Amino acid sequence: MSDEEMEYSDDDFDAYYEEEFDRDVDHVDPQKNDPEYFHVACLTDTEVERLLNESVEQLSNSIQVTPSLAKLLLHMHGWNQMEIVAGYRQDCNRLLTTAHIKPPTPPQPSTSAQQGDGETTCPVCLAPMSPDNSSHLSCGHMFCKDCWSKHFEVQIVHGASTGIECMGSNCQVLAPEDFVLPLLKLPRLREKYQQYAFSDYVRSHPQLRFCPGPNCNIVVQAKECRAKRVNCTACKSQFCYRCGNDYHAPTDCETMKRWLTKCADDSETANYISAHTKDCPKCHICIEKNGGCNHMQCCNCKHDFCWMCLGCWKTHGSEYYECSRYKENPNIAHESAHAQAREALKKYLHYYERWENHSKSLKLEEETLAKIRERIQEKVMAGTGTWIDWQYLLDAAALLARCRYTLQNTYPFAYYLESGPRKDLFEYQQAQLEAEIENLSWKIERAEMTDRGDLENQMDIVEKRRTTLLTDFQQG
Amino acid sequence: MAATRRLQKELADIRRSGIKSFRDIQVDESNILTWQGLIVPENPPYNKGAFRIEVNFPAEYPFKPPKINFKTKIYHPNVDEKGQVCLPIISAENWKPATKTDQVIEALINLVNEPEPEHPLRADLAEDYTKDRKKFMKNAEEFTKKNSEKRPAD
Repeated sequence: MSDEEMEYSDDDFDAYYEEEFDRDVDHVDPQKNDPEYFHVACLTDTEVERLLNESVEQLSNSIQVTPSLAKLLLHMHGWNQMEIVAGYRQDCNRLLTTAHIKPPTPPQPSTSAQQGDGETTCPVCLAPMSPDNSSHLSCGHMFCKDCWSKHFEVQIVHGASTGIECMGSNCQVLAPEDFVLPLLKLPRLREKYQQYAFSDYVRSHPQLRFCPGPNCNIVVQAKECRAKRVNCTACKSQFCYRCGNDYHAPTDCETMKRWLTKCADDSETANYISAHTKDCPKCHICIEKNGGCNHMQCCNCKHDFCWMCLGCWKTHGSEYYECSRYKENPNIAHESAHAQAREALKKYLHYYERWENHSKSLKLEEETLAKIRERIQEKVMAGTGTWIDWQYLLDAAALLARCRYTLQNTYPFAYYLESGPRKDLFEYQQAQLEAEIENLSWKIERAEMTDRGDLENQMDIVEKRRTTLLTDFQQG
Repeated sequence: MAATRRLQKELADIRRSGIKSFRDIQVDESNILTWQGLIVPENPPYNKGAFRIEVNFPAEYPFKPPKINFKTKIYHPNVDEKGQVCLPIISAENWKPATKTDQVIEALINLVNEPEPEHPLRADLAEDYTKDRKKFMKNAEEFTKKNSEKRPAD
């Protein structure tokens, strides 16, 4: 900075930047810049336990019930404290009855057969019982402690925990934690019960979700239930928060489910296309695809063509790229049923082929990444740049994977989209994205250090196309 | 053993009660976990005969529910060809250890007398039962006369 520039007065400086700064504040909402932004926290079971206990304690204090009953109430009401407190103030009896904590009618004095000396028999095992070795829930159904223990054991082995009810015929009163736990003799059972109950609490909590990763114990917390991407910090798995399956933007959860079911049903028809080889459209030599990029160049005749449609790559320039779009027969309504069925299959295969092909490209590009690492190693060893200089290429490969993943998931969306201006716009943007992705893939596979500026420019274009598409067709 | 003590008492109680619609209860001395008995329904078309059932109690009884099977063929929307019956009171989810066998038998007799076509085991019969009651009654009566046990004299 020169001395001359330093002489600007502080006032001018502040006035200029403050204005700019204020304008920036309006744009701070990260969702506006990143359509995939979603704030989640990955919690361990101890952290979840603490979170749940806080709610339990708050409720227990505000309506004066035992923590165990508060937990049961929260579980029954989707952890909505406000709703419970309001319900409690309005009609506490009704709240406790509908939550199956109290019986609908007040308990009878004693349902079991009285014997002369005040001793009774347990209605389940018919053995005599004294007040010391028997207990009951709020419904007053008295049973001996051995029977309670045996009942809980059978129920827990059956997978029940929070839903365990009284043993009385037709009685729906629930047994809260502090009633069950002291009656469980085996530590193994107590552990199982707590583990099942914990799962039940997480499942009933609208802000919590188990990470679907194999053997992962992380619980993901989010303020809203939306179809957004979650990256588990522990097992690194990626999934959709709403449905728990693989992340699928821009397609919504229901459409994705329909699509995957359809693909599973039609797997036989679709199988024939899963071959890895095709013939060069010009010289007819058999070509095996071993890279992710769909812009192919025949090793024999140097013909440039598109792996998807086998057309000349020249027609795939970004301005009139149409390979992704399915061209429907405009007169199909007047055709025979046979022709319509054929058309329906053709349409499905068009989308399926592209969806499947991008999935394969993603796998092939993982191999490319390994090759890039080797190449970087060689270059660095040969003295062509440092590790840091080459970092951009790895970034480019990561970006390519992210973009191709989104592109893959645009195909189910397009398949179910009804014809009209919205579909036209979508397929236009999809085509643009696909063209730029193939461009990027081509450039990454052939990157030398001198290409850096060009490649970074291409990365920018691709990511912009991707976020534009996601923003314009945002789901849930 | 809890199961034995309870079943002995329940068996004695049922026999003493002299219930008309469930009788001729046979239990092997060596195995109290299996009962056989005769269901004698009151409502047409099943009042033309009687039906032998088998009640099997698990070793964990009464913490686990008994199972009921029809030994006599019956033309009924809620009983399948193998004699299996769908009775909510003895499903694993609904079972209560304090529920007694006489309550279970009562529920079974009610189901035989009043079929529940909403939860059928044999959809074809359930459809006839709701849509063409006359045809159902005719078939069921013929089937009962042909296949069921003789009703006790008294």
